[in-house]
Amino acid sequence: MHPLLSPETSTLLTLALYAAAGLCGLAGMIARSRPVRSAAAAAAVVGFALQTFALATGFHASTSGGLSIGAYLQMLAWFLVLAGTMLRIFMKHNAPLIFAAVAALMLYGFSAPALEAVVKVPETLKAPFYALHIGALFLSLALIGLAFAAGAVFLYLDGRIKAKLGLPAFIADMPALNILDRINAVATVVGFPLYSVGMVCGLFYAGAVYGRTVTGDPKEIISFATWVLYAVLFHNRLARGWYGRKPARLMVLIFILCAVSFVVVNLFMTSHHSFART
Amino acid sequence: MDCDIVLVGLNHRTAAVDVRERFALVKHTDPDTWALPLGGAIHESLILSTCNRVELLAMGTGDVAEQMLRHWAMARGAKVEDLKPYTYSYVNDEAVRHLFSVASSLDSMILGEPQILGQLKQAYRKASACRATGVILNHLLHKAFSVAKRVRTETAVASSAVSISYAAVELAKRIFGTMQGHRAMLIGAGEMAELAATHLIKNGVDEIVVANRTLAKAEKLAEFYRGRAVPFEDLARHLASVDIVITSTGSQEPIIRARDIRSVLKARRNRPMFFIDIAVPRDVDPDVNGLDNVYLYDIDDLKEVVEENLSGRREEASKARQIVDEEVAAFAGWVGRLDVQPTIKELIHRSRLAEEEEVARTMRRLGRTDDATREALEAMAQGLMKKFLHEPLSYLKEGDRAEHSRRILAIQNIFNLDRHCASRFNAYEDREEALRRARAEAGAKASRSCPAAAGNGEGKLCSAGMDGLAGQEG
Repeated sequence: MHPLLSPETSTLLTLALYAAAGLCGLAGMIARSRPVRSAAAAAAVVGFALQTFALATGFHASTSGGLSIGAYLQMLAWFLVLAGTMLRIFMKHNAPLIFAAVAALMLYGFSAPALEAVVKVPETLKAPFYALHIGALFLSLALIGLAFAAGAVFLYLDGRIKAKLGLPAFIADMPALNILDRINAVATVVGFPLYSVGMVCGLFYAGAVYGRTVTGDPKEIISFATWVLYAVLFHNRLARGWYGRKPARLMVLIFILCAVSFVVVNLFMTSHHSFART
Repeated sequence: MDCDIVLVGLNHRTAAVDVRERFALVKHTDPDTWALPLGGAIHESLILSTCNRVELLAMGTGDVAEQMLRHWAMARGAKVEDLKPYTYSYVNDEAVRHLFSVASSLDSMILGEPQILGQLKQAYRKASACRATGVILNHLLHKAFSVAKRVRTETAVASSAVSISYAAVELAKRIFGTMQGHRAMLIGAGEMAELAATHLIKNGVDEIVVANRTLAKAEKLAEFYRGRAVPFEDLARHLASVDIVITSTGSQEPIIRARDIRSVLKARRNRPMFFIDIAVPRDVDPDVNGLDNVYLYDIDDLKEVVEENLSGRREEASKARQIVDEEVAAFAGWVGRLDVQPTIKELIHRSRLAEEEEVARTMRRLGRTDDATREALEAMAQGLMKKFLHEPLSYLKEGDRAEHSRRILAIQNIFNLDRHCASRFNAYEDREEALRRARAEAGAKASRSCPAAAGNGEGKLCSAGMDGLAGQEG
């Protein structure tokens, strides 16, 4: 393979493009320049294409050897930019994609020290449900992450508009409240079924591997709590027309639970899901 | 003798509205009626006349400002003494700075308002079409437009709403993103409310619903907005279908209360609502703002937004003035380079003559020679001259504007050049001469229909067809 096409080079270029997307996004926000923000989004899209290539080639090369937690973080980064790209297409606003690129860059940063400890996926965990379990959950987590950011911005902007405090010039081009709420709606309507699929796959998987679907694993408990909150949000959005602050607050809570589940359980607790570091 | 760029004018700061009306040159937009006479002291001119300012810009020699004032006063049937106390006058860099500030809307009554640039462009178009502008004003005006663009791009001087109605629409955009797919309701009537409704329509709102205690009035207004009228009694029912509500009734009590809106919100599945209450006393109970997904701005809130935006613009104006200063310096540099151009041209011309003479003399001495020898000789002569001229040309081009006159004189003395070429802008003499001839022809034509032009003695060229006037500012 040509050195320029190697996964390492692609990864480096991806990171450079995500960094460029973040910097251009910030500059475009401060300078209130639409072309600069569009350039940021374009950099993120090219970065995403390169990351797809890097992950496809690198992942393929390392699957036989197993995956490290760093590789999982990189996969999550990919799903994040995928979700950002989807929202960019759907909302016609660059902000979610630029934010996704910056978050992906951060995930790459966290993944660097955790790339070396490649651990083989135990044979017991190799099942057809595995890819679906990880894929569905990661995409829903990416959507939750973006909806969390949109929710946080919504709460800030809504508070300022209601309190008549005026808006600083640099956030004047942030998405309107309606768009921020729609990000939450998409993350709920698309993300909740995905999260449910991921959970159900996990349960089947546990049944096949451990002989029982509910094992009392900390990850299971926290994920179930997340699922319940997500279900409440899903129900109220669709059935009761929740809009604005309530879904934004609930999405923030869901994200916090997901972050605790991802960081605390995977890194600091004994769980079926901490196999990657053992 | 040097030419100057002179700007004479009055504006909202120096003259009250009655004075501005008295000295406005709006009627003189027609080239056949009057404009600044070209020829004599004034070589190029442009007139900008809006409701907030009248400005005369000219390039010429001698007492240009006095002549401009004289013609201006005469055109309005007044004496110069009546006009002069209200006017300001700027020359060269200061005139350029003022023009750039006007184009960038830094001198406008409402800082950053966008109309003035369009008005200046219109003034320039007319002046240019009448051949009233030449090399200098053409470049100056194009520069003014690019400075205005730079100011708008690089600063936020024109970015926020500074009128109540526009501020309301901007706030609506912060909530709904786009106005497409949204409906607005106008309750009552009033100039400001109607202006806000007009802004909403311009921004693409789907429909305007009008409610008024007198249904006939509502129907009339609805017809104007191509919307629909609803009976005032059915207000609560129709509120559920609209996203933006502008109220401006004469009611002494609030007509919309929080308890009414709770049920409305339920009916519209919590989709957000924006109330713009322009009435005094207020039409919407302030408690409404406490409801989730409901935003209420009354007239004072909107005034505060406008005031905040204006202070933001004032802060940005200092950045804009820096840009203007940079561009004034750049323009001065361009003008300065024009000073040295005739001397450079003359120097090169002299060197070419000398070069040709010497080549011819040498060829005669050599007798019969082939083409290759001739070409070699010419190349050698050209090379020598190039090397020889390199230092004096660099010497002329370097230095600032003040330095140029001294350097030009030194080179002229050393090389015994024609002094006439030191006059600024003479590099463009040929072109100017052609323009003058064209103007004379236009003047002759206009004098048949323009008495002022016909009486324009002293060999001056009638400017009929040479003015540049604008429409209204603000």
